[in-house]
Amino acid sequence: MIFHSLDFVAFFVAFVAVYWTLPHRGQNVLLFVGSYFFYGYVHPWFLILIATSTIIDYCSARGMEAWPEHRRRFLWLSVISNFGMLGFFKYFNFFVENVAGVLAAFGVTVHEATLRILLPVGISFYTFQAMSYTIDVYRGELRARRSLLDLAVFVSFFPHLVAGPIQRASFLLPQVELPRRFSAEKARSGFILICWGFFKKLVVADNVGIIANKVFALADPTFYILWAGVFAFAIQIYADFSAYTDIARGTSRWLGFELTKNFAHPYLARSPADFWRRWNISLSSWFRDYVYIPLGGSRRGTRLWARNVLVTFLLSGLWHGASWNYVLWGLYHGLLLLATQLGGRLKVPGGVSGRWLVVPQVAGMFVLTNVGWLLFRETELAAIVRDLMLSPVGVSDLDRQTGLYLFLLAFAYSVPLWIQSLWVELAGRSSAPSREGVETLAPWQRLVLQGVGCGLAFAAILVLRSRTSLDFIYFQF
Amino acid sequence: MPSSRAHALAGLSALIFITLVMPAVIPMGNVRYPGPPPPPTYLPALEGPRERASFDKDRIPDLRRLQPGYVVIGDSMAGTRVDERRLAELSGRPVAPLLQAGSGPAFWYLVLKNWVIASGIEPRLVLIFFRDTNLTDVMFRLDEQFRWALDLAALEREDELDAVVARRLGLLHRAHRAVDDLLGVERARRRLEPAVIAWPVEMMTSSRRRQTEFVARMNERLGLDHLRRMEAADIQIGEGPAFDFGRDVDDSVLPLMLRDASKAGLTLGFVRVQRRPTASRPPAQTPALRRYVDELRAYVTARGAIFHDDTGDPALTLDMYEDGDHVARHARRRYTENLYNRLRAHFQ
Repeated sequence: MIFHSLDFVAFFVAFVAVYWTLPHRGQNVLLFVGSYFFYGYVHPWFLILIATSTIIDYCSARGMEAWPEHRRRFLWLSVISNFGMLGFFKYFNFFVENVAGVLAAFGVTVHEATLRILLPVGISFYTFQAMSYTIDVYRGELRARRSLLDLAVFVSFFPHLVAGPIQRASFLLPQVELPRRFSAEKARSGFILICWGFFKKLVVADNVGIIANKVFALADPTFYILWAGVFAFAIQIYADFSAYTDIARGTSRWLGFELTKNFAHPYLARSPADFWRRWNISLSSWFRDYVYIPLGGSRRGTRLWARNVLVTFLLSGLWHGASWNYVLWGLYHGLLLLATQLGGRLKVPGGVSGRWLVVPQVAGMFVLTNVGWLLFRETELAAIVRDLMLSPVGVSDLDRQTGLYLFLLAFAYSVPLWIQSLWVELAGRSSAPSREGVETLAPWQRLVLQGVGCGLAFAAILVLRSRTSLDFIYFQF
Repeated sequence: MPSSRAHALAGLSALIFITLVMPAVIPMGNVRYPGPPPPPTYLPALEGPRERASFDKDRIPDLRRLQPGYVVIGDSMAGTRVDERRLAELSGRPVAPLLQAGSGPAFWYLVLKNWVIASGIEPRLVLIFFRDTNLTDVMFRLDEQFRWALDLAALEREDELDAVVARRLGLLHRAHRAVDDLLGVERARRRLEPAVIAWPVEMMTSSRRRQTEFVARMNERLGLDHLRRMEAADIQIGEGPAFDFGRDVDDSVLPLMLRDASKAGLTLGFVRVQRRPTASRPPAQTPALRRYVDELRAYVTARGAIFHDDTGDPALTLDMYEDGDHVARHARRRYTENLYNRLRAHFQ
């Protein structure tokens, strides 16, 4: 089931109505049943995978506590089974195609036994989330849970199941286990997040997505058209992914849960390191805690630090998809981070206030981020090379004007995002968009302002939503 | 209930109320900026009133003049496969291709009803080309972007098609449509969408003539001729959303096609094209898809139609394909001759 469907709206309203009439245990049962219904709505066989992953992780963690001397074996059981499933469903075809390609280069022709099955949506998200549980139990940072039901709710919690944000067991599991009370205040802020999320998805992401799709379908893009398309994609992917996160966080609040933030206005980042503190925060911190730091982080000298950064970013790229362009994207961001860190932070020249450097730093980082999005969006390596070689000189007037037109159109749709980001950033806060700058208002004024904002978002969804509904981009990962 | 909790609940209720009331600005906007009301649609279950392309009534006298022995209906799957001249040579009778790239079963049904049957012609066979589960998926290519083609074959009212669409969309969509109608959403969209799309052009040049010229040239620049020739340009995924013939058939146009053809004394021939094969074997089919096709075959043949499945035909090899499931121009003749041979009994 997808958020931006009437089916989900009906499902969620009915779910909430029943949910708060139940005692705590009943709520968890309902969450489990509802989450499995949500996930298996179109493809019931997906449930076999998530159930298998849950049961293996449950048994592994219990095994670690029961037989501490075999902790490592149980961890391997969990790691191999989780990554085995992920690898099989997500990377098997990629592996076979590349092996076949290499063999073909040596004149050996093999029959590619590629799988004709769907990639189960959300498998990368819930696998990582489940893994965080067993790793934390292995490290002794978390005790193994006795309740399989609670663990199953933690792994399958439907608001964020398909596209995150990835939650740590230490953060979400206690919320599953402790009794919850309906909070009208939380529901109110959740409602605002949901409205904002739907607006970003249906009005911004889906409309600019059409521009990006159009440009990336061209056989002969020229400089201005291509980069207008990349800009459109930059807006699309942020609006799309952050919309999912907002809707996930908003719906969770209606159920008495709090999910961690996943975005903090990433296009206002001043450096690559700053960008990764703001973009897909839950995944970045997962890789930091479970890959980068165990590899040694920055503790063992520059060379090993550089290796660790690159390995982490390469894996992060590969996590997004079984394709070389994602690997390139990860490598690009790893190198970018290394280059800026090794080069030292940009020093403020004498006489120039640091504040004045913010604008060029943000603009420069946004341009660098866009180069990364080209690698991310363009799946054909030859096309990436061609695109990077495009020159702004010698382009026809028509192509120049077309590029400008597409850029302005994408920019127009993205204006609400820029306003919101700047508002929050300038206010020096990073909480829910509805709250910034309105604390000084009287409660009723704040209420009216929020209502008008949500109402206008709703009206805009009705009249400006794209006629072509696109899936959430991160569903494919 | 403690007063602070009651207060918070009242705040939440007020927020939801204001949010739901705010879209009243839409009908107010419609009143403030009135325009000629668009004509009613022939698919009210799916959309509000809108400007539409006219019904292409010239097709009817064209068919009467041609008096084809065979009619071919379909999308680019048929368009890239059937060489109508070659088929006419082989069969000795004129062939009428009624094809539309990017069309779906709703279009094929309207073509059959409003052009072929309405013309009163008596072809020996009406061939309808499709892929896998198209025939029972009325929503396939019924999106906004494909509807202009549907307009060409649709009369002012298409109640039966609308009823099928309504059944497929379900109660929730009907409620959604009712809200849209109540608020005049479609009217507002028809006014706002062009304004949003036009403003960058208006910024770039103030001359109306230049704006129109630029838009035309830009559309051409971004048009079909400039798109990549991707292998996956038009390739059907075998395992899309779950499908079930028994469940889907009654909410599709297939029963209407068979009924109308039977009443008009026409024989329908459904041709399932083979999706892109691999180098050494036909495209893989899941057990569910095989079961679906078996049920489809049994259903249509029990109602007097012919069913032919290209899938697995050893003569249809990968070298015949161009992009996606399309057959290359150079292989069209070969495909046509092969089809003629496979269905020879029906062409004689």
